Amino acid sequence: MSNSEHVLRAEGLAFEYRPGQHVLRDVSMTAAAGKLLCVLGPNGSGKTTLLRCLLGRLAARAGTIMLDGKALAGYSARSLARLLAYVPQFPTSAFAFSVRELVLMGRFAHTGPMGLASEQDLAVSRQAMMMTDTLDFANRMLSEISGGEAQRVMIARALAQQPQVCLLDEPTSHLDIKNQLTIYRMMVRLAHDWKMAVICVSHDVNLAARFADELLVMRLGRVLADGTPQQVLNQGVLQSAFDVDIDLVHPPDGGIPIIRAH
Amino acid sequence: MTDQPLDNHAALSLTGLARMTFILATASLGVAVLCGLVGQVGLTWNTFSARFLRLTAAATVGAALASGGMALQGLLRNPLAEPYILGISSGAGVGVLLGLAIAAKAALPNWAMTPVMALAGAAATCGVVYGIAQRRGRLDPYVLLLSGVIVNAFNGAIMLSIFLLVPPRTIARFAVWAMGGVSEALAITNIPLLSGCAVAAVACWALLVFRGAALNTLGLGDEVAGSVGVPVHRLRVEVFALVSVMTAAAVMLAGPIGFLGLIVPHICRLILGPDHRKLAIVSGFGGAIFLMLADTLCRLAGGWLRIGEVPVGILTALCGGPFFIYLLRKRLGGVKS
Repeated sequence: MSNSEHVLRAEGLAFEYRPGQHVLRDVSMTAAAGKLLCVLGPNGSGKTTLLRCLLGRLAARAGTIMLDGKALAGYSARSLARLLAYVPQFPTSAFAFSVRELVLMGRFAHTGPMGLASEQDLAVSRQAMMMTDTLDFANRMLSEISGGEAQRVMIARALAQQPQVCLLDEPTSHLDIKNQLTIYRMMVRLAHDWKMAVICVSHDVNLAARFADELLVMRLGRVLADGTPQQVLNQGVLQSAFDVDIDLVHPPDGGIPIIRAH
Repeated sequence: MTDQPLDNHAALSLTGLARMTFILATASLGVAVLCGLVGQVGLTWNTFSARFLRLTAAATVGAALASGGMALQGLLRNPLAEPYILGISSGAGVGVLLGLAIAAKAALPNWAMTPVMALAGAAATCGVVYGIAQRRGRLDPYVLLLSGVIVNAFNGAIMLSIFLLVPPRTIARFAVWAMGGVSEALAITNIPLLSGCAVAAVACWALLVFRGAALNTLGLGDEVAGSVGVPVHRLRVEVFALVSVMTAAAVMLAGPIGFLGLIVPHICRLILGPDHRKLAIVSGFGGAIFLMLADTLCRLAGGWLRIGEVPVGILTALCGGPFFIYLLRKRLGGVKS
């Protein structure tokens, strides 16, 4: 485990797919162990690009990303996978593997050249499946289970990597309300109970505000605001981020306000 | 629910893979001996050993093409990918013919030119086909097949142009070679080529087996595969390089033999499921056994029909063409519904 609280830290990130087309400008962010950080912003604000930079898939034009005290670019794919896991927006499996086999693939970076699973690998992936409640359909294929179940399988696969940081790319965008809540509660547990740094890119302001420990609001490739939901959630920030009129409805019990756009 | 048996079910063990390899190797050897014995009455040691060399060539070609096809299907997530269909075989073929033509003109020994040219042809074709089909690292499965069609046509044109440049007697020899078949004469007279190709093919096959776990993760998409620790770009280069060497070896020994890399891996997938570690082992042996049997059938059929010998490439194409259409229809139907 890392000594530092701040497992993943990006500073002054800039990125462009084509010269002059700035997708990220001077983005700085910090993800701490034990915290759920939600990255909010409208379409095209650079959320996914930021995530891909943090994953090491895209190389930033400027700025640094430090993971566990070391530059991200210095990690091999294998050593990176032991620290950092990723859950995609749409779970897919081109080959007809069972859920159990898919979760075991999360052990790739921990196994030998043939990827053969040891007792420990089996135990870790079983624990990941217990946590995500996916054991009941362990022998079914991804095409035979629902979207919410498939997303939980992808989270189980990420957990099997035993990472310090888990990155999720809009994991609830295609799920119904019940499954959205399930996935958000799961992310909170990963952060609070499993002490991971969880970073979730999201569109859903209300869910993010309700569950996140930290929010990062982006617009046009820049960080508009960051901090706790209480600090970030104000009319001005949200209106300028999403370009709509927003009311904050304060619930009678004094909890997190509900955001209503119109 | 009971989890223990499920865990065992999912776990692939080294002893299991070793046992599988041993059984299949024994079976392949058995098939080779049986195939060597059938035919002619009054079998002498000389004819048997000549046939055995020929069967070694057939087994090498079959193992190389089938395990290479399996690897391409996994790498490109496309059940229709195969060295022949993607034009890699014809690329190696152009290399072989150019090598022979140049060696004849420059009075060089064949071995100095053909291996290098065949490998260059196969590797260049891999690069071109992949370059056409990918956009920002993403592959369109149908563009991939179409680029294979285009490259095949182009390579075919180059081969025909080479025919124009060589004397008529050589054209006949080249034309028979282009049908694809295991030549007994080549296997007996050119032991260095046979053993070189066999060693190269087996070494690449073994390396492919060790890429099986990485190929499995590619099914989750490039991004997820990368995030579980697979260096996706390096894997692509490695597998294309291995398949180029294997295809070049196969084409040098037997000319372009089509569809083997499609039929054998597909049957293996049906029986064994999607795990590329098992598939890499089994499809290699399956290809070796398949081509030994097919070659023996062609040898016998030639005798029955009194036309000398039927090139085995004709048989595999006759079986493989309809099989390709069946797979394509199944895939199209699956996509639409």
